[in-house]
Amino acid sequence: MRAAALLATALSAIAAAAGAQPSVEPRRFALGVELSAAVGPEDRGFFNYTSYEDSAQRLARLSLTAEWHLAERVALLGEVRDENLGTPRVYALYARVRPWRDRAFDVQAGLIPPVFGAFSRRRYGGDNPLIGYPLTSRGAGWRVRYPFGWGNPDPEPGLPLVNALRWDTGVQAHIGSGRFEASAALTQGTLSSPRVHDDNGGKQLSARVAWKPVVGLILGASGARGEYLSRDVIGALPPERRGHDAQQAWGVDLEYSRDRWILRSEAIWSRWQTPMLERSLGALGFTAEGRCKVLPGLYAAARLDHLGFTHIDGPAGRVSWDAPVWRTEGGLGYVPVRHVLVKVAYQHNWRDGGRVRERALLTSQLVVWF
Amino acid sequence: MRAARLPLLALAVAAGTAAPRVAGAAAGSIRGRVEVTREPPAPQARPSIGELSMAPPRDLPNRRRSVVYLEAAPQGAFEEHEGRAIMDQRHETFVPYVLAVTVGTTVDFTNSDRTYHNVFSLSKPRRFDLGRYATGQSKSVRFDRPGVVRVFCEIHSHMSAFILVFAHRFFATTDADGRYRIDNVPPGAYTIVAWNDGEARETRTVRMGEDGGVMEQDFVVR
Repeated sequence: MRAAALLATALSAIAAAAGAQPSVEPRRFALGVELSAAVGPEDRGFFNYTSYEDSAQRLARLSLTAEWHLAERVALLGEVRDENLGTPRVYALYARVRPWRDRAFDVQAGLIPPVFGAFSRRRYGGDNPLIGYPLTSRGAGWRVRYPFGWGNPDPEPGLPLVNALRWDTGVQAHIGSGRFEASAALTQGTLSSPRVHDDNGGKQLSARVAWKPVVGLILGASGARGEYLSRDVIGALPPERRGHDAQQAWGVDLEYSRDRWILRSEAIWSRWQTPMLERSLGALGFTAEGRCKVLPGLYAAARLDHLGFTHIDGPAGRVSWDAPVWRTEGGLGYVPVRHVLVKVAYQHNWRDGGRVRERALLTSQLVVWF
Repeated sequence: MRAARLPLLALAVAAGTAAPRVAGAAAGSIRGRVEVTREPPAPQARPSIGELSMAPPRDLPNRRRSVVYLEAAPQGAFEEHEGRAIMDQRHETFVPYVLAVTVGTTVDFTNSDRTYHNVFSLSKPRRFDLGRYATGQSKSVRFDRPGVVRVFCEIHSHMSAFILVFAHRFFATTDADGRYRIDNVPPGAYTIVAWNDGEARETRTVRMGEDGGVMEQDFVVR
């Protein structure tokens, strides 16, 4: 929290300096609140766990967002979240500046939204037609404990491909507002492990380009590379093993919407260099979802997810380094009044390994926002 | 803001002593001005936390425009109406912000923006969802029940508008100067209402004389 306060002070100073330019619009402040509460059975297979050791299927989240326009082209944005009545956390806190009025070029600095992919920038409650997070974008890896990767000698849960529950700290630039858009960011952590404090002196460079050939169709391609091992771990490695500690990821995403339909798909290929292995550990995640409004205020949605892993050679032969997972999820969403959404979703998970290999979950969720 | 209400739009003929008469009497007009002194708050979009750029400029809706109407309409005023009206979507704003129509009117929701819009309403008099459609396209909704229909865009949270559906034709929307005029009002006692931005702001009783004429009724909405 102290770091967040310092960051907010610094961003205010930046924004105030940039805001000295003439303003043609009144300053305005917008506040948003989103409350979501999901009730479901215990997820013994840890298929839906977030980065804070909670299951998305049994999650109450309060999210407060704010956008303060200090001047015509300068805004401060922030989000604070509380999950299951735990400690509130700063999820986003950044300044947005448009240096030139007539150019679609924006710079954001602070605890910023990721430029990689598409899902991580969507609001969880209202923009997610179902309840679960895609397998590519969960908050943590599986419950399997790994001895390193976080600069901690104690075993911790593994890493996700993309951590959708935390954002990274850094600076990003975005250009374009028509058919072509491009974004690039330089941040402290990596897609798997976004950070406020840099723990290894490395930086992640990530970028995304998007093409909108027709209204309603968005095609995106992303890439990212950054060091994910902490300084402590790197220091414990033999000298010849150092320098092999990057996460590299590539992604493609698609969104097509028309009439009552929205179709979205995203595929992410990630590989982590591991100093003690000759070959990198790779994972491929794929998700495809669709939403169709069947009546005013009522929609049906479905999602297919898969997460697969590359193979390594071990004592038992050539095996996948983690257990591949498949998931289907389908559900209904009903909006009785504006700003209230009730979801019911059935999720079925299969994993090719581990103690719990199959798990079905029927979950309901209430989302309220204004 | 209080819930949008227009409870008596659906009223049929006023009964009893207040029942206005139509036959054999001269119809008059009610005109005046609605001065809106309150400063309507600008519609706010939800904070754009997940965006990578500034939102494009958009127009502000004209929330000073009001509707003046008679709460109880004279006998014979309920003729069938098959009109058409347009509510455009332009610079992420519904234009007009307030549309007053009679029952049976079909409203065309045109899209003049370069982005998708998704018009919908969950109001009881008319629930609909037009889905997403692009620039240059239009979708229509017929309004067959009187009442207030609140209209939104599913994609742009700051977009909203009102459609007031009347069972009679004794209503008028104010012009840019706040002026209105309701013609062909038969003699009788009426309740006249000034409605602005989701609420009936002022209600008063008026009496149209047997010889018709023009009656002045000004309102101040604070």
